[in-house]
Amino acid sequence: MEPITWTGFWIIFATCALTMLACRVLPLFLLKGRELPPRVSEALGFIPSAAFAALVANDLLNPGMFAAGLWPAAAPLVAACAVVVVARLTKSLLWCGIAGVAAYALLTMI
Amino acid sequence: MLGYIAIGIPCGILSASIGLNALQVFLMCALFYSGAGQFMIPNMWLSASPIASIIASVSFVNTRQMLYSAAFAPWCEGVSKRLAFWFSATVTDESFGVNTKMFEQGDWTVARATLVNLFSQSSWTASCVVGVLVGNAIDIPLAIAAFAMTSIFICLLVTQKFTSANVVAAVCAMVGVFVCKLVGLSGPAIFLGAIIGVVCAIVFSRIREKVS
Repeated sequence: MEPITWTGFWIIFATCALTMLACRVLPLFLLKGRELPPRVSEALGFIPSAAFAALVANDLLNPGMFAAGLWPAAAPLVAACAVVVVARLTKSLLWCGIAGVAAYALLTMI
Repeated sequence: MLGYIAIGIPCGILSASIGLNALQVFLMCALFYSGAGQFMIPNMWLSASPIASIIASVSFVNTRQMLYSAAFAPWCEGVSKRLAFWFSATVTDESFGVNTKMFEQGDWTVARATLVNLFSQSSWTASCVVGVLVGNAIDIPLAIAAFAMTSIFICLLVTQKFTSANVVAAVCAMVGVFVCKLVGLSGPAIFLGAIIGVVCAIVFSRIREKVS
């Protein structure tokens, strides 16, 4: 991996900060207390589930992931299942991070 | 409050793993201020996503802030524009929950709510910057750092409301990402997958409305 450059950082940071500010501030000033259209609210409500699922899938799934044998690709999947259990039980980001790293380290050492 | 420290330090460590320095992380906390976003950037950078794809995906996830902003609008009526701006610019998922509860209980002002926001943001910023320094001091294998981010996204996914439409969104997004990679679109896979998920969930809830 190439470390991120200042230029790369500025582009990502400035654009993301601007879109974030617009999303945070504009509805409050433009709507002036009116509600968002129900269809829009509904669609916005689906975004977190879809986006986090896409991020997880991007990390865990690859076409041809089992080409190097079953275990190298299955180990992260098993560790991910362990994280799902911890998430259901604790709902804590920190515990999920710790459990995930521990499970992953253990399973890849086997 | 403790939650910000517990997650800010790992966020700083992971940011350091892609070569972000303390000043860059400080700027992100001060002006961008998004937990999910600040985990997504290192994660997508590690998976070699193009910059345009990182920006599109992070901004897409940011749009949920519009819900919070719209929800607070009635409480901000009659408040000065400058205060309303500062308040709305510093809202996050966690402080949204706290402030909504306090506004509903009454005896709560926008000024106080802004203080809650700024207090949350300061603890987030401080712990992220400490995380960067920790990350620079210890050498964490990239694979481990990457899986820590995956675990955090799994937690964020699993703790969403478990409605059938949300499940449709999640499953279709995962299939969408896989199909994108299969046809060689691995760069925008996350962004396209998320859009596919949202579209499928909308279609699903329309069909359900018609049937019932």
